[in-house]
Amino acid sequence: MEWVIFSFLSLWLLVSVVGAIFVRNPVHSILFFLSSVLAIAGLFLSLGAELIAGLQLIIYAVAIVVFYVLVITTIPWEKVKRFEGIYKRELIFGLPAVSIIFGLIAYLIIRGNLAEPVGTVGDNVREVGRTLFTSYLFPFEVASVILLVAMIGAILLGRKEE
Amino acid sequence: MSLEKAYILLGILVFLLGLLGVMIRKNLITILVSTEIMLNGVNLVLVAVDSYLGRVDGQIFALFVLTVAAAEVAVGLGLIVSLFRLKGYEGSSEIVHLRD
Repeated sequence: MEWVIFSFLSLWLLVSVVGAIFVRNPVHSILFFLSSVLAIAGLFLSLGAELIAGLQLIIYAVAIVVFYVLVITTIPWEKVKRFEGIYKRELIFGLPAVSIIFGLIAYLIIRGNLAEPVGTVGDNVREVGRTLFTSYLFPFEVASVILLVAMIGAILLGRKEE
Repeated sequence: MSLEKAYILLGILVFLLGLLGVMIRKNLITILVSTEIMLNGVNLVLVAVDSYLGRVDGQIFALFVLTVAAAEVAVGLGLIVSLFRLKGYEGSSEIVHLRD
C-alpha cells in the first residue's frame, strides 16, 4: 500500500517538476511548481511529518506562489515574452552532466547501507515542538533574525529611487 | 530496494532537475522557481531520512530550510524587480556587465 501511494505521488511530482522546468510560459511554470508543492506535501504526509506538510502548504503553496504571480504581473508582458523558454545549447551539455551525477549518486545509495534506526516517534507534532524549543532554541531565534533582515532588505530593494 | 532508498533517490532527482532548470531557463523568475524546486528536493530527503531513523531533527532542519526559502524569495524577487526597473533586464543572458 505504501508503494502504491509512493508511486502515485512520485509520478505526479516528477511530471510537475519536468513541466516546471521545460514549459515555455513563466506563469504555466509557476502553476506546475504549485502542483509539485502539493505532491511534496502529500509525500510528507505519507512519511508521517504532518507539521512540515501543513507548513509546506501554508508557506509554499500560499505565500510564495502568490508572491511570484504578483511579481510577474508587475513586469510588462512583451518583455517576458522575449525571454521565455530554455537555452538549447545549455540543455545539450547540462542534461548528460545531470544524468551522470544522478547515476553516480544512485549507485552509491543503492549499494550502500543506511544507518540503524534509533527509535520511534509517537506524536510527531509534540516531538517536533519539544525538540525545537529545547535543543534548537538558538537556531530558532536566529531564524527570526533572518526573516527580519530579509524583510528590511526587500523593503530597501523595492522602494523607488528619488 | 527499500522504500527509504526510493524516497532518497526521488529527492535527489528533484534536486538535480531543479539544478538543470537553473542552468537552462532564460527568464530570471523561472530561475528562482528552479531554486525553489532544489530546496524542495533537499527537504524531501531530510524528512525521509528523519522518518526512517525515528528522530525529529531532520524535520526541524526542513523547517529552517522553509524559513530560508521565504527569505530568499523575498530578497530575490526584490532584486529582480529593481534590476528590471533600473536597467530593463529580464533575461539571464542580458546581465553580462559587473558594473555599468
